[in-house]
Amino acid sequence: MSTDEATADEVLADLHTDEWEAEMQALLEEGDYDAELGLEMAKDAQRLVAGELDEADFYERYHDAVIDEFGVDDRPVAEAIEAADGDRETFVESLEALEDGDLDRREAMKKMGAAGLFLGLGTWASKENAEGGPDAASVAAGSDEEEGTQYGMVIDLQKCDGCLACVVACSQENNTSAGANWMYVFTYEDDQQQGENYLVRTCQHCSDAPCEKVCPTTARHKRTEDGLVLTDYDVCIGCRYCQVACPYGVNYFQWGEPDTPRSELDPEHVYDGRDRRVDSRPPKGVMGKCTMCPSRQDGKRGEEKIGTTACEDACSMDAIHFGDMNDDESDPNQYLERVRAENANDREDYPNRTEDTVSTFRLLEELGTDPNVVFVGNEPGPNARQVEGPVSYEDVGEVDRRKEVLDDGTFGGGVIG
Amino acid sequence: MSTKRATESDILRPLSATSKKYYALVAVTLVAIGLFAVAWGLQLRDGLIVTGLADWGSSGGVTWGLYIGAFIWWVGIAHGGIILSASVRLLGMDRYQPVARLAELLTLAGLTAAGLYIIIHVGRPDRIVTSILLNYTETVHTSPLVWDVTVITLYFVMTATYLALTLRYDVTRLRDQLPDRFEPVYKLLTVGYSEAEDEVVERMVWWLALGIIILAPLLLHGGVIPWLFSLLPSMPGWSGAIQGPQFLTIALTSAIGGVLILSYAFRTAYDWDHIITDDVFRGLTLWLGLFTLLFLWLQLQQVINGVFAAPIDQTHAAEAKLGHPAYWISMGLAITTLAFIFAQTIRPSLFSRTRSVLAGVAILSATLIEKIFFVVEGLLSPTFELYHAVPGSYVPSPVEIASLIGTIGVVTLFFLVVSKVIPVVELHAIEAHEDDGDEHGEAYEYDGDGEEPTADRRTSTEVNA
Ligand code: SF4
Ligand code: SF4
Repeated sequence: MSTDEATADEVLADLHTDEWEAEMQALLEEGDYDAELGLEMAKDAQRLVAGELDEADFYERYHDAVIDEFGVDDRPVAEAIEAADGDRETFVESLEALEDGDLDRREAMKKMGAAGLFLGLGTWASKENAEGGPDAASVAAGSDEEEGTQYGMVIDLQKCDGCLACVVACSQENNTSAGANWMYVFTYEDDQQQGENYLVRTCQHCSDAPCEKVCPTTARHKRTEDGLVLTDYDVCIGCRYCQVACPYGVNYFQWGEPDTPRSELDPEHVYDGRDRRVDSRPPKGVMGKCTMCPSRQDGKRGEEKIGTTACEDACSMDAIHFGDMNDDESDPNQYLERVRAENANDREDYPNRTEDTVSTFRLLEELGTDPNVVFVGNEPGPNARQVEGPVSYEDVGEVDRRKEVLDDGTFGGGVIG
Repeated sequence: MSTKRATESDILRPLSATSKKYYALVAVTLVAIGLFAVAWGLQLRDGLIVTGLADWGSSGGVTWGLYIGAFIWWVGIAHGGIILSASVRLLGMDRYQPVARLAELLTLAGLTAAGLYIIIHVGRPDRIVTSILLNYTETVHTSPLVWDVTVITLYFVMTATYLALTLRYDVTRLRDQLPDRFEPVYKLLTVGYSEAEDEVVERMVWWLALGIIILAPLLLHGGVIPWLFSLLPSMPGWSGAIQGPQFLTIALTSAIGGVLILSYAFRTAYDWDHIITDDVFRGLTLWLGLFTLLFLWLQLQQVINGVFAAPIDQTHAAEAKLGHPAYWISMGLAITTLAFIFAQTIRPSLFSRTRSVLAGVAILSATLIEKIFFVVEGLLSPTFELYHAVPGSYVPSPVEIASLIGTIGVVTLFFLVVSKVIPVVELHAIEAHEDDGDEHGEAYEYDGDGEEPTADRRTSTEVNA
C-alpha cells in the first residue's frame, strides 16, 4: 500500500492544511452545532491518530461537552459514546463500525455536524493507513477483518504455464471422481490482453462465503481456527444450495458412487484435526470442493506437510503460495512483497507513480464474498473466453467437462439426452 | 342458469356414489405413483446421477432442475389456493364459497407434493431430519432454504387447522348421513364440539384467513420462496426485487387453474351444475385473466430491464432467456390464454366450461414450464461465465419426468380419497343458497352474462328460486 510507509506525523501534516480547516468550518456551519467545539475535537482527534493523545484522554475531554451539545439522542454518535462509556476499548471499535458503514464521509459529516468531526471520521481512515493494517502489506484491495489465521493463497498467474500439474495432483491426492476438478486452470484470451493467459481457480475460502450462509445444515462451515471453508460429509444432505450460491462454480457434487471406494482412502486423510469428516473426495450424495488440505494443516499427514497443499507442492513454476493471509511473514505475503520489491517504480524521479508495477486482484471481489485468494497478474475482462490450453485435461488423464461422464449414468440419458 | 335447489344430499353424493370411472381413475393414479416409486427407487440406489443434472461451471450442467422447478410450482398452487379460499372468507366473495374447500384441499395436496420434492431433490434424504432440525437454531438466521421449510410447515399447520375448524361444523350436522366406516375420523374431527363454539370458530377462521391473506403474499410466495433465488450474488437471471411479485402472480394463476380443473371434475362427476355454477367458472376465468395479465406484465418488466443497457451479466442472462424455446412456449401459452379470456369478456358467447378448463390447463402448463425454466436459466447464465462449458445444458431425464407424473397422481388420489371421507363443498355454501340473506352471507349473483365479477355489479336477486 502506498501510504504504509508514511509516518503519523506526515499524515498529520498532510491533514492539517488551511484548506482542510476551511472545509471543515464550512461543513460545520451548515449544521447547527457548535462549530468551535467540533473543530477543537477534530484537531484532537488527529492528535489521537498521531498518538499524541490517548483515547481515554480524548474521550474524557469531550464526553460532557458532547452530551451538552447533542444530548443523548439516537444518533449513531450516541451509541459510540455509550459504547465508550461501558468499555473504553470498544470506543475504537465503535468508530470502526461507523466507518464500516456505507456512509459517505462527507455526507456523514454534514449530517452529523460537529458530531461527525468528533468522530474524526476523516482522520480515522488515516490512522488505519498510518499504522498499516496487516493487510496493507498484502494487497491494496482486501478484507478488513484481520483477526486470527485466515488461510488463503497468492497465485502468480504470470508464472503459470498451464501445465495442469496442480489439477492432477489435487485429483490424485483427494481421489476425486473424474471431472470433479477441485483445482481448475483456465486458459483464456481477452481482447484487452495479449496472447493466452491463465486463471488458476481453487475454492476462494471466502471470509463472507455465500455457500456457508445458505447451507441449511451447517455442513458447509468456516473453520474458526484457520478460516478454511469445509463441508462436513457426515452432515451434508446434498441439497446443492452451496453450489448454487457460490459465484465461482467451485463445487462438485457426488452424483453417483465415487470412483475411489472408501476402503482405499487413507483414514488420516479423511478426518481433520477436529475429527470431522471434511477431507478427501465426498461420498455419494454430498457436496465436495477444494479444501486447501485440512488434514495436512492439522499435521495428520506429517509435520513436513503442515502449511502446504497438494497443488502447491506440484507446481514447478512456484506460482502457488499457500499460507496465512493475515500474517505478514507468511509465505504468500512474503512472496507478494518480494514481487513488489522486484517491480518497484522509480519514485524518486516520478513521485506520482505507484510504488510498483505489480497488478493484483481478487476474483469477483465486487460480489462481496471477501475471497482469500489473491492473484498476481491481470484479471480476465468481461469478454474473456476460455480456449484450449497448451496441455489439455485429456492429455493429463483428467476430464474437463464432467457432464460427459455424468451423462453415462443418466437414466435413459443415451436415449434422449 | 340452473333452477335446481342445492341440498345436503347433493354435497354428500361423492361419499356414497362410486362409479366405475372413479375406480378407473384410482387405478390410473396408482400406476402413476408406482412409476414414480420405481424411478425414485432407482435414484436412491444409484444416486442423483440418474437425473439429467450435473454441476454448473467446468462440468457444463445445471445443479438444480425439474425437481426444484416443480417444487416451486406445487408450492405456488398451494399458496394460491389458500389465498383464494381466504379471500372468499375475508372479503365475503360468497359466489366462490362452493369451491373454497376445494381450494383449501388443493393447498394441503400441493404442499404434500412440494414436500415430496424436497425429499427427492436432495442427495441424502435420510439425513433431512437430523441435519436440518438439529442445526435449526443456527441455520435459521441465514439459510433461505430453512426459512422455506419453516414457512411451509407453518402454512401446512394453518391450513389444516382452518380446514379442521370448518369441518367440525359440517360433520356434526351431517353426521347421520356420513358413512359409518370413517366413524373414528369424524369422532376425532368433532371431539368436544358444542354449538356454542360456532361463533367463536367463525371468528377464529376469520382471523386465520386474515393471517393467511397477509402472510401468504408478503412473506410466502412473494417472500421466502423467491428469496431462495433472488438473494444470491451468483446468478443474474434470478436477481431483482421483481421476483417477489412475479412468483406471486404465478402462484395465483396456477391455483386458479387448479381450482378450475377440480371444479370441472367434481361438477361433471356429481351433477353439481347448480352448486358450482357457470358463474363460478366465468368468475374464476376472469380472475385468471387478470393474474395472467399481471404475470405477463412482470415478465415484460424483467426482459426490458435485462436488455436495455443492463450490466453485462444481466444482459447475457436476458438474452439467453429470450433465445430459449422453453421460454416462448410458456409465454405463448400464457398469451393465448389471456387473448381468449379477453375475447370472452367482449363476446360472452365464447364462454364455455370446457374452454375455461382448457385455459386452466394451459396456464398450469405455462407456469410449470416457466418455473422449471426459471431455475435452469439462472444456472445457465451465471455472473462468472468464463468457463467454456457455460452455458451448460440440461434435459430432464425420465426419472425426473416420472416424479412429475407421480406427484400429479398423488394429488389426484388425495382428492379421490378425501372426497369419499368428507364433503368437499361446505354446508355453508348451500345454506347460503337455501336461506338467502342469513348470517352466513347472501347468495350474490351478478346480473347479465359475461360481466366482471366486481362488487358493484352484484345484486342480491334470488338465485335459485
Ligand atoms: S469460493 Fe465458493 S465454495 Fe469457496 S468459500 Fe467462496 S462461496 Fe464458498
Ligand atoms: S449440499 Fe450440503 S454443504 Fe451444500 S448447502 Fe446443501 S447441505 Fe450444505
